[in-house]
Amino acid sequence: MLGGLAAAPIVPTVAADPSATDFPNQFMELSSLLIAHRLDHDVGLRLAAALRMKDAAFVVHVGGLIEIAKSKNAKIVEDFFADVPDGPLRDTALLIISAWYLGVIVDEPDTEVFAYELALMYRPTNDVMTIPSYAISGPSGWTSEGRPLANMPDF
Amino acid sequence: MATETNADVVIVGTGIVGCLIAQQMLDSGLSVLMLEAGPRVDRWRIVENFRNLPPSLRLHFDAPYPPKPWAPHMESYTDAAAAEYLQLEGPNARAYRQGYVRYAGGATWHWAGICWRLTPEDMRLKSLYGVARDWDIDYDTLEPYYTRAEYAIGVCGPSDPALQWPPIRSKPYPMGPLPFGPGEQRFTDAAARLGLKNVPAAQARNSGIAYDGRPPCCGNNNCIPVCPIAAKYDAATALPKIEAKGGRILANAVAYRVETGQKNAIEAVHYFDSDKHSHRAIAKIFVLACNGIETPKLLLLSKDERNPNGVANSSDQVGRNMMDQPKLVAELILAEPMWTGVGPVQGSSIMQTSQGDFRGKHGGALFRFNNLARSALGGVAAVRKGLVGKALDAEIRRLSACTAELTIEHELIPDPNNRLTLSSKKDWLGINKPNIYYDVGNYVRRSAKEYSVPLVRRLAAELGAIDVQVSTEFTNSDHIMGGTIMGADSAASVVDTDCRAHDHHNLFLPGGGAMTTGGCGNSTLTMAALALKAADAIAAQIKRS
Repeated sequence: MLGGLAAAPIVPTVAADPSATDFPNQFMELSSLLIAHRLDHDVGLRLAAALRMKDAAFVVHVGGLIEIAKSKNAKIVEDFFADVPDGPLRDTALLIISAWYLGVIVDEPDTEVFAYELALMYRPTNDVMTIPSYAISGPSGWTSEGRPLANMPDF
Repeated sequence: MATETNADVVIVGTGIVGCLIAQQMLDSGLSVLMLEAGPRVDRWRIVENFRNLPPSLRLHFDAPYPPKPWAPHMESYTDAAAAEYLQLEGPNARAYRQGYVRYAGGATWHWAGICWRLTPEDMRLKSLYGVARDWDIDYDTLEPYYTRAEYAIGVCGPSDPALQWPPIRSKPYPMGPLPFGPGEQRFTDAAARLGLKNVPAAQARNSGIAYDGRPPCCGNNNCIPVCPIAAKYDAATALPKIEAKGGRILANAVAYRVETGQKNAIEAVHYFDSDKHSHRAIAKIFVLACNGIETPKLLLLSKDERNPNGVANSSDQVGRNMMDQPKLVAELILAEPMWTGVGPVQGSSIMQTSQGDFRGKHGGALFRFNNLARSALGGVAAVRKGLVGKALDAEIRRLSACTAELTIEHELIPDPNNRLTLSSKKDWLGINKPNIYYDVGNYVRRSAKEYSVPLVRRLAAELGAIDVQVSTEFTNSDHIMGGTIMGADSAASVVDTDCRAHDHHNLFLPGGGAMTTGGCGNSTLTMAALALKAADAIAAQIKRS
């Protein structure tokens, strides 16, 4: 099934032979399907290039994931993630999500950092917590007031 | 090419101790040459280094400070890396993995800025509790120097004596306290319900106003590993001021030998540059302020015919009595959000638990809520669970907000067996690496077992923790003390009460190494106070001569 998806996609323009100019758009399209938040285009371009360089099959997996999402008429990840089979496609989806959230492709010494303050992991708490090194307020401008867990920020 | 330079005062080390002394010497009209083993870098470089670390390395506060080959320091990112420079042995070797950086500005680059004073009782353990040693100066003697140090580096703290630690002061703090964030307030409230007082820390952070040319703290929550705006004092901010007063600072100048001469006076300090060329610096007075590990190492490296055990070591106490505050941490999971990451990374502690008659039996302990933003910890943990969509965001928020870390720092007493010696292993320049044997001792172990761990569990329960994991292995607090211990008896100590070496009238060894005992709090303000006391003595000595 996976091999079939990769070798003979239902939507030929997605994965048959994506050009270098198409692929960043496909990566951003898939990223937006996997992550329902505002995504920085420049970070996306850099991630797309690095992930493509890291794994020759990455482009194909991106196409396969878009195909599944379209087949489910998906708008958000919850609409199609259950249909992504275990293996390279699910790993690719999680890798893309991880990269956007952590700002790195691998979390280990000497890795390239693609995003620091734009890494999405800081956003679910950014109504209260400081992104280290970036101040939220000003001189003594904070208080002991917390926020309810349920009040997820919009980001 | 070898060179010879001279000054009235040569200071080895550009940390807080060296810089405070340099400024006072220059203000007294004396010439100063400072030697720094490591590089001199701009603040933005360190900030960028930090931001370009992968998430899991951002908690390793030495990571934005890669050492130069000629000035190695411990790197903590893996056990193998940590074992490269400091050679550690003994039952608690892990607890002496001290995280200082050999950069111009020293370890204050990445300190939390906490400025506890010792209490009068902390300085009289022998006479009050029958353990350890008494200091040969008392609190009243040290108090004016504490005050001067607080004004020199800019310390904020509460004006209400009921919230001061200790409330024995000749002047108010130069600035008022910083606000608490939600987690720190919740910890304070929980402690109060147990009859304990979590007090605002005296801290070298500008509170609400600019001070000494540095801006007010804006809560960037990055004191460790670097304050991006220099609202926190670090000695790097003193370097241009020293140069403006005419002081000379040589970076990448690794002192490796102290030369003695007639009457055992110090004649020169020899240092390597980064091309391994040797140079010689001469002065009337020499100050070694290279921190509690590098100073005893340099003294031991300098043994000669007059000083066969090393310079300043006729007592055989150089490198002995190595101290710190052995640390345990409690990791909490809570049902309700605690919230960290609002304000500085540390801002308060329970200090009353450092005092008591129990000190005849076991050490005291300090309890602290760690306010470092836990968003990256929560983020990494949630992503690793393979969650997606709203479930991922919710789990990041829960793991970041509903977890907390409480730190216990224990009082350790000086033990001559906790000893720094020279390893047979050599560094890039061919200089022996330091080897340290370390056992926290039963005084600390009893404290943890009978006192501090039961108490931290009560604090966790009061906070509403649904899970508590207390570490079982002691770790380092990076408060290096004892290796050039102070005392009036030259047979049992290295320096006198002005931090002057008993064996050499023109050699001063101020800083943490001189501390007779360490209490439970960060040693930095006491180091700074001892630096100013030494500075008075140096200026008077040069004037007399």
